[in-house]
Amino acid sequence: MDLHAIGISHHTASLDVRERMWLSNEEIRGVLERVKGNLFHEAVLVSTCNRTELYGLGPVADETALKRLLIEFKGAGDAVRPEHFIGAASGSAVHHLFRVAAGIESMVIGDIQILNQVKEAFGIAREAGTMGPVLNRLMQATLHVGKRVRTETSICEGAVSVSYAAVELASKIFADLSKKSVLLIGAGETGELTLKHLLGKGIGHVKIANRTKEKAEALAGTFGGTVVEYDQMVEGLRTVDIVITSVNAPAYIVQPDDVHRVMKQRSNNPLFIIDIGVPRNVSPASRKIENVFLYDMDALSAIVDWNLDRRTAEIPRVTRIIREELVDFLRWHNALEVGPTIQEFREALEDIRRQEVEKNLNRFRPEDRELVELVTRRIVNKILHQPTTVLKQGAEGGGHNSETIHRVQALRELFGFSRNGKAPRGE
Amino acid sequence: MHSAVNIMVPLLPALYAVLVVLYGLSFFGNFPSIDRMKSPALIGTVALHLLYLVFRTTAFDHPPITTVFEIMSLLALSIAIGYTYIELRTRATNTGFFILLIALAFQTVSSLFIKDLTDIPEYLHSLVLGFHVSAALLGYTAISLSAAYGFLYLMLYHEIKSSRFGRIYNRLPNLEMLETMSHKAEVFGFLTLSVAIVIGLLWLPRVFSEFSYWDPKLVGSLAIWILYAVGLAAKHRLGWQGRKTMIISLVAFGFVFLSMTVINLYMSGFHSFY
Repeated sequence: MDLHAIGISHHTASLDVRERMWLSNEEIRGVLERVKGNLFHEAVLVSTCNRTELYGLGPVADETALKRLLIEFKGAGDAVRPEHFIGAASGSAVHHLFRVAAGIESMVIGDIQILNQVKEAFGIAREAGTMGPVLNRLMQATLHVGKRVRTETSICEGAVSVSYAAVELASKIFADLSKKSVLLIGAGETGELTLKHLLGKGIGHVKIANRTKEKAEALAGTFGGTVVEYDQMVEGLRTVDIVITSVNAPAYIVQPDDVHRVMKQRSNNPLFIIDIGVPRNVSPASRKIENVFLYDMDALSAIVDWNLDRRTAEIPRVTRIIREELVDFLRWHNALEVGPTIQEFREALEDIRRQEVEKNLNRFRPEDRELVELVTRRIVNKILHQPTTVLKQGAEGGGHNSETIHRVQALRELFGFSRNGKAPRGE
Repeated sequence: MHSAVNIMVPLLPALYAVLVVLYGLSFFGNFPSIDRMKSPALIGTVALHLLYLVFRTTAFDHPPITTVFEIMSLLALSIAIGYTYIELRTRATNTGFFILLIALAFQTVSSLFIKDLTDIPEYLHSLVLGFHVSAALLGYTAISLSAAYGFLYLMLYHEIKSSRFGRIYNRLPNLEMLETMSHKAEVFGFLTLSVAIVIGLLWLPRVFSEFSYWDPKLVGSLAIWILYAVGLAAKHRLGWQGRKTMIISLVAFGFVFLSMTVINLYMSGFHSFY
């Protein structure tokens, strides 16, 4: 197979190098335009914040030149060198793409966004006219890997960020978040992110308290919530179900006594406190109070670590799926080779000829039988001549182009030569 | 008919054991094929169990409500049906292991001790008895389910509180849902048990000459009823939530199990059929 892949990722380069190689959709189209026809007859380019990878079908003599082409396209020669790239060819290029789609090459193992990004990349290639039979099949196989990995393993399960871990906990405590309310005390990136995730989960009502009232009002405007006076925030705990504290304060702003009192007032309804402040805002002694679920940064990070461990433990099952799909894909691809196809074509026609001759040989006089053999052989050879010549010409020079592959595919389908490769999925 | 019943007596506990293993594997392991298999297996077992009780009724010419072991089998079936309903209606499909364990326990005890009675006292053919037993059965089923969900609530509560997350955390629905399910089942169970007790108290003195308010089973049942009443009152009057009410529900269920087994086996009274 003439598939080549070059790529830069968090495994091979630091962020300041990687970000220079990030390509917008417009730029991706530009690169595909440039390689189309002269370097590759089929090509696709994936670019995310953690990786930029070019896959192409065609004869590549010098991989470094290909890497330089990408670097030059981005005008990033001052920061990026060919050594920042990895290269792969043939089966190992397919293998690499499958690993990327499965999320085990991602910075955060099991990151499911990558599959959509890969899908999008194939979409851009289709628009740019650089998709062909091999990449089409490769796309289906890649998406199939992603789908299987998601449904058959738990590599994508469990929150892997502190803010998301907090939201996951909330949905393990409460049944219906749309009937619950949250109070955000203070401001900070993680606090706001947690609030955003909660809103994504449909949290019912948002309240904001901040030492600077203007800031509270601004946040309430952004998130569609109401403002609680900062000195009233302990009272605020009475009417909400979830509290996020993210205040820069040298001492605890919520004491166990406060929580005790509030719990009585709220008839012991469960209260989930997410303390993101460092140093902590809520006295850890509050954790002992019944129906109070208090989580600080350490506890949330522990959940994230635990989830990451569980994801890592799933890698062997993911690689098994990748192996199966790789075998499947390579089997299909091997069936596209011109030589074996011509051979099969010849054998199929010869089979028909022989069967018919044997069946009808008795109708001829013994002295004519040799002639019958000869004539029928000639007919078959004449039928075979034109298609064989065209296919062989197309395959000259090693790799074969899209047109040849189309012809081989058509021939195999028309004559039912599918025993070496399953028909592509969804077709 | 008798031979069919005789085959099914040991078969049913075995089937429940298989169900418990299937649901256990599905809960503690990761087997997609078992996940698909468990629901049909549950429905099949329930159907066979129903058939068993129908056969029994025909073979011995009385509904299976005359001895504690017949009642236990009925209770096991009732719990299994209750769970099937929950599995089909809610997302709580991962709780089967814990609930079917109760059904397995009741059916095993029943199959071990059940006898082929055909001669039963005339008063056991009464329609009032039918109401009394049905109400008691529904009540015990509901409080069994309530206890199972209470138990799951406590396990999940403990995991979340102590930040130690395992299978329980991953597979169970949320705390609020478990609490709601446990509470609803408890209220339903309490009401139906109340009906059973009222019917019993009105009907029993008329039928039994040796009737006594100090019969161990009567006292046991009333103690259980009072425990549930206290638990529900604490929730509604004192605003108790979560852990404490779940503990009361579990303790009360412990008494139910004790009253069904210990009192029946070791104490005698007029109420000997249950």
